[in-house]
Amino acid sequence: MSARPVVDRARVLERSRHPVARVVGLAGLVALWELLTRTGWVPALFLPSPLGVLGAGVEMLRSGELVGHVVTSLGRILLGFALGALGGVAVGLAVGVFGVAEAVGTPLIAATFPIPKIALLPLLILWLGIGEASKIAVITLGVFFPMAINTYAGVRHADPLLLRAAVSFGAGRWSLVRKVMLPAALPMIFAGLKLGAGTSLLLLVAAEMIAANSGIGFLVLNAQNLMETTKLMVGIVLLSLLGLASHYLLTRLERAVIPWKADA
Amino acid sequence: MRRLLVVGLVLALVVAVPAAAQGPQKVKLGVLKLTSSAVLFLGAERGYFKEFGIDPELVYFQAAQPIAVALASGDIDVGATGLTAGLYNIVAGGVPIWVVADKGREWPDYNLTALVVRKDLHDNGVRTMRELKGRKIGVTQIGSTFHYNVGRYLEKEGMAPGDVELVPLQALPALNDALAARRVDAVATAEPFVSRLEAAGAGVTIVQTGDTFPWQIATVMYSAKFAKDRKTAVAFMKGYAKSSRHYFDAVLAKKSGPAFDEVVALTAKYTGASPDLIRKGFPYQDRDGRLMPGDVGRQTVWWHAQKLIKAPIAEKDIVDESFLREALKELK
Repeated sequence: MSARPVVDRARVLERSRHPVARVVGLAGLVALWELLTRTGWVPALFLPSPLGVLGAGVEMLRSGELVGHVVTSLGRILLGFALGALGGVAVGLAVGVFGVAEAVGTPLIAATFPIPKIALLPLLILWLGIGEASKIAVITLGVFFPMAINTYAGVRHADPLLLRAAVSFGAGRWSLVRKVMLPAALPMIFAGLKLGAGTSLLLLVAAEMIAANSGIGFLVLNAQNLMETTKLMVGIVLLSLLGLASHYLLTRLERAVIPWKADA
Repeated sequence: MRRLLVVGLVLALVVAVPAAAQGPQKVKLGVLKLTSSAVLFLGAERGYFKEFGIDPELVYFQAAQPIAVALASGDIDVGATGLTAGLYNIVAGGVPIWVVADKGREWPDYNLTALVVRKDLHDNGVRTMRELKGRKIGVTQIGSTFHYNVGRYLEKEGMAPGDVELVPLQALPALNDALAARRVDAVATAEPFVSRLEAAGAGVTIVQTGDTFPWQIATVMYSAKFAKDRKTAVAFMKGYAKSSRHYFDAVLAKKSGPAFDEVVALTAKYTGASPDLIRKGFPYQDRDGRLMPGDVGRQTVWWHAQKLIKAPIAEKDIVDESFLREALKELK
């Protein structure tokens, strides 16, 4: 009678990181894409090659065209994002802390939140003009809602035990908000920030496709109008990089601000 | 014996029916729902294409650029629309599209596109291109025929492209709204939007393109695949030339009368626009559909100078009037 080895049946749940597969997957896709365009099977007009896109990007970087678009877009995003995030956190906190604010705020937010913000763009243009204000406003709105809702949820879900403990140690309303509720809401706030970052990219492109003279959205639309597919791809790659960068930065910030949740 | 006869008859039917069912050749024709497509509506309605074995299937588009893309991808066989930098970039990018016939020119005394300035600015003395220096001009898109118009107006006045700020607003209705709301100082637009702005008291026309510099603004184009089917391509041109002659004689030469009204009514039916607006906006074109010699080449040189197309395109790589010439020879 030989002892049967115990099979760890939970092993299927284990997921190793496969660092090689990560790189190979992406590189393989790009290589296949390059190969496909090299054979001439797909005309470069319809699908520019990765090397062509890289070349066009470098060329646009050298001429200063790219920097102009990126700076314009970043300015719009940062301002809209900051306004939306600050407003969202403030409103979310107020609604979470004060009974009156909650009574007034929750139905209002529930009614306005589902409106796709792109649908508001024509109205914003009518009110604020085709300049910067309407573009920033639409981004602000897009970021405001996930921030307000997440902050509110975060505050409401603060551990009651911690709240009671703070109160019994003599904490007033303000120090309760500052020292317990806000820190408890931080993970939700960061989740809202990441959500808002994605939304703001989407809205940026939509806003810049109407009456803009520069910005990444303008670059994409203009390249489409002029049938410059390579430049179009440069714009798309740029948007992807911006999305990656914002996610990376927010994750780093999250680790710095809420170290107790570092690996979540 | 009788059975054999029946079998023979049935067989004959089976063989004959598909041959007869082939009928006229289907051709997908991409157009805009605008007055300037009148020649093609006329050809379809009056049976000029059918006469030569062509069954045109009208495919409607919202703008010129998507027609160019559909020609490049082979989704349509024939396109009839304005010449844009985007179209030239497709050809420069190695996907051939052939410009085969006239479909509308900017021409003296025929209203098509114009520059309309805001009423209040006009009242305060802004009445020429010079006085628009540093101001905002709305166009549909960068690289559009309207962009070309503004560029040429500036050149004519000895001004530089940077002397005005072009605001791309994507669609013609948006241009009207922007001017009425004073978001731009002038717009480069087309009939019937010009008439609408003037009727609403929102703007005043200061440049009629046709009076300022005539050019080949719109053409009939063939996809590379369709151009290879020589017989059908020539047959289409025969129908087009006949339709064009009808259009010229009824609409352009007379400007009124029952034959004119008939084309107005037919265009109204296809475009859904009001007959009064349609009357004002029939563009000029050659009676036989011949192109303005050398103009396509001139356009590509200009776009290239603006750095909006990769290379100037030799006329032989984009213009092919041989289909039309062959059709006209046989039509005589």
